[in-house]
Amino acid sequence: MNDYLVQLAKKPIFKTLLQKMGIPRLPPVLKRTNHPWEQRPFNDQNVMIGQMGSTQLTKILAEIMVKGGAIPYVEKDEPVFNIFYKAGDAYGRKAQVIKQKSLPAPQLLIYDATNVNTPEKMNRIFSFFHDHLRSLDSCGRVVILSRPPCETKNVLSATTTHALEGFIRAMAREIGFKGATANIVFVHSNADHLLEPVLRFFLSRRSAYITGQPVYINSQVKTDTIFPDKRPLDGKIALITGAAQGIGAAIARTIAREGARVIILDRPEADMRAAKLASEIDGALFFCDIRSSSADDRMADWVTKKFGGLDIIVHNAGITRDKLLVNMKQEQWNQVLDVNLYAILRINKKLVPMMRNNGRMVYLSSVSGIAGNRGQTNYSTSKAGIIGYVSSLSKELAGKGIAVNAVAPGFIETQMTARIPFATQLVARRLNNLNQGGLPEDVAETVTFLSSPGAAGLTGQVIRVCGGALIGA
Amino acid sequence: MKSTKKRTAVVIGGVRTPFLRAFGDFTPLGTIDLGVSAIKGLFKRFPIAWKEIDSIIWSGVVLPGATVNIGREILFDLGLPMTIDAYTITRVCTSSLKAITLAVDAIERGDADVIIAGGSDSTSNAEVTMPQSLVHKFAPVVLNPKSGVKDYFRVLTTLNPIKDLIPQRPAIKERITGELMGESAEKMATRNQISREAQDMFALQSHQRAAKAIATGRFDSEITPVELSKTKAVHADNIVRGNTSLEKLGKLKPAFAKNGTLTAGNSSTLTDGAAAVLMMEFEKAKSIGFTPLATFRAWSYDAVDPTDQLLIGPALSMPKAIKKAGMTRNDIDLIDIHEAFAAQVLSVLKMLASDHFARDRLGFDKAFGFVDPKEINVHGGSVALGHPFAATGARMVSTMANELKFSGKETALLGICGAGALSAAAVMEAV
Repeated sequence: MNDYLVQLAKKPIFKTLLQKMGIPRLPPVLKRTNHPWEQRPFNDQNVMIGQMGSTQLTKILAEIMVKGGAIPYVEKDEPVFNIFYKAGDAYGRKAQVIKQKSLPAPQLLIYDATNVNTPEKMNRIFSFFHDHLRSLDSCGRVVILSRPPCETKNVLSATTTHALEGFIRAMAREIGFKGATANIVFVHSNADHLLEPVLRFFLSRRSAYITGQPVYINSQVKTDTIFPDKRPLDGKIALITGAAQGIGAAIARTIAREGARVIILDRPEADMRAAKLASEIDGALFFCDIRSSSADDRMADWVTKKFGGLDIIVHNAGITRDKLLVNMKQEQWNQVLDVNLYAILRINKKLVPMMRNNGRMVYLSSVSGIAGNRGQTNYSTSKAGIIGYVSSLSKELAGKGIAVNAVAPGFIETQMTARIPFATQLVARRLNNLNQGGLPEDVAETVTFLSSPGAAGLTGQVIRVCGGALIGA
Repeated sequence: MKSTKKRTAVVIGGVRTPFLRAFGDFTPLGTIDLGVSAIKGLFKRFPIAWKEIDSIIWSGVVLPGATVNIGREILFDLGLPMTIDAYTITRVCTSSLKAITLAVDAIERGDADVIIAGGSDSTSNAEVTMPQSLVHKFAPVVLNPKSGVKDYFRVLTTLNPIKDLIPQRPAIKERITGELMGESAEKMATRNQISREAQDMFALQSHQRAAKAIATGRFDSEITPVELSKTKAVHADNIVRGNTSLEKLGKLKPAFAKNGTLTAGNSSTLTDGAAAVLMMEFEKAKSIGFTPLATFRAWSYDAVDPTDQLLIGPALSMPKAIKKAGMTRNDIDLIDIHEAFAAQVLSVLKMLASDHFARDRLGFDKAFGFVDPKEINVHGGSVALGHPFAATGARMVSTMANELKFSGKETALLGICGAGALSAAAVMEAV
């Protein structure tokens, strides 16, 4: 399960040796964090912010950055500079002007492109990144803020916002070698107040394996706007399926770390692992096979009796039975669809009504479901089905304040991927911008973010945790 | 519930030892000895019948490991009746203010009528300890009655001369960040853009005002001489430099960072000293013939994130305290802020004037208000006088209580920052 090249890259001696031998570039060692959420995720980091004059977002952005502990550098544009300077005053993070000489290496690059509405204006964005991208720190973050295409009123601005998405995807490929990521955040103009928690996640080390990803923030989900910085899941009840091992266990640990009481749901066969995990995170155990027809009723009764309701559901349980379509047995097709799709539809009939207001649902999809994968017709079908399900369910539940999202992992180093033939594995984990496989923790942090109150702006979306896989969206 | 008559705690007065630079004349005196000297001085200044005393609430920061409850030891050394209660609290540099407000609490609740509150610290006597690993290796042998010489020798062979035998030096280091306090203050100076000139200017003001107060005898009633031997006594503070100038301060090298702005001249220094304050219930004071100086209208104890701006706390505590007192900036006549570093005081003043800070960090509509550095600390502060950690709060309370009386002013606001990013503020009112 270990990527030997990443392990080598951690040792400077081998790094130089391999480089001398002509092996081009070792994968970057990604900076991650497994601490509980902190008050200042960008503490003492330099953030360089590009803008074309002040926008509706400027003040909000300034406050998010200084509150998060970043030291802002802005272009010498009086109104923008003043907004940043004033906001930084209260936090001892006074804005500084970007001068060409002796700039410290920025860890964060942000361009507020919400007022870029003609393709020609993108020249400014080009020159901003042209000037500063080279100095971006290793494992830095790039984010472009824009208005969503659906909101644009004319042809020119629709063209521009789409063009920016292409720009960021290409940039993500170029900066991956140093572990840096680039994402684009489309903020609906009536959802500016929901930007903060999203930016705090996408600019933090918790999003190390997400790159080349568009994110849409809107105000469909009703919410009270209090987003805790720390312990976001205090007092919440979270049900996680398939939680005994792999990604599920990582999700359970992370969600428990942020304060939620976790219900570990897995098959009776996994009882040892599940019990160990339960004692580690003080979780509750529920054993059942989600394929069985009585599972939904039993589960619903037990949860009602013990907890009265649910705040978070993570549908993580999933299996693979890989075979080329022509060789696939009916049974293999049935098994995969049964666990990955039908079971979810069935138990959700009972579980969805048990969701409390402001609940969060997260579904594990897969890059395979977006791009398709040879030998995985059954798996890709089920995971693509999830995407459709999430998109439709999200609209139904928005009124109750429940956000529904999917996470699509790419190549993640787990026991499931360890079963892939060795040669395929070797190639597969290199086929992304970051040149390495992700860790279960990367998926877990994303799921935890989507389970938090601050994810209110996101619903019906698919967040790829794939290191910017070369195949797929 | 029975209605009870409202009780008010009042400050009768305070006395302190001279404040001396660490490893000077006070080196032979421990924190207990300094506390004894301060309270003896208090008794001379305010002769009170011992039977009236209900309790001693003492405080310390650098506490002797073997006798942490130094308040009780001070009581024994003074020869006070052993039936008097005495305890010791620690809350870093805000310790003795906390001791005093605890006394106010006890008196106003009806638990006590007369309390001596204060604090002492002897940084010269900070304990240098042997590594815990040495203790852990030797303890099983020492505690086992069957151990013989052989066993001791066996332990000796397991010792690591570097890890086990080099004593641990005490330092004012934040445990969580590993930073010296000066380093944290240096960061605050950078982040709040406090210039070296501004800091030196403030330090100069502190020294000049303290020197003037000493020269005019303003502190005479507050300081008690400490006898070192039959023939030798210490009468005066020795850290104040009345003859310093901006040029002299400007020549000093940065103390905590290469291109830093904090120097030995604009920071407070390690100091030995003690201060005690006599607190009474108002009616009681009248009945036994003491004149009250001041009361406490409100206080606020707060904490911030030590990994952010370690010493910014008073910028939260001071506005919160005046809010609790139902006052505004304009109701406050005197402001006294503990000067750990000139940079820290100036950072706090900047934040007190910031509406953004008030809104974002306190949830208040308006800032506390602009405060000119010249307005505060009318008789200098810790940069000039020195800072024996747990004595500073009591020093400020007695100086301000007297100042209210001498100047005829109504209110005083105190603000203190401390290690671990704790802070305190209190509003005093003339009686």
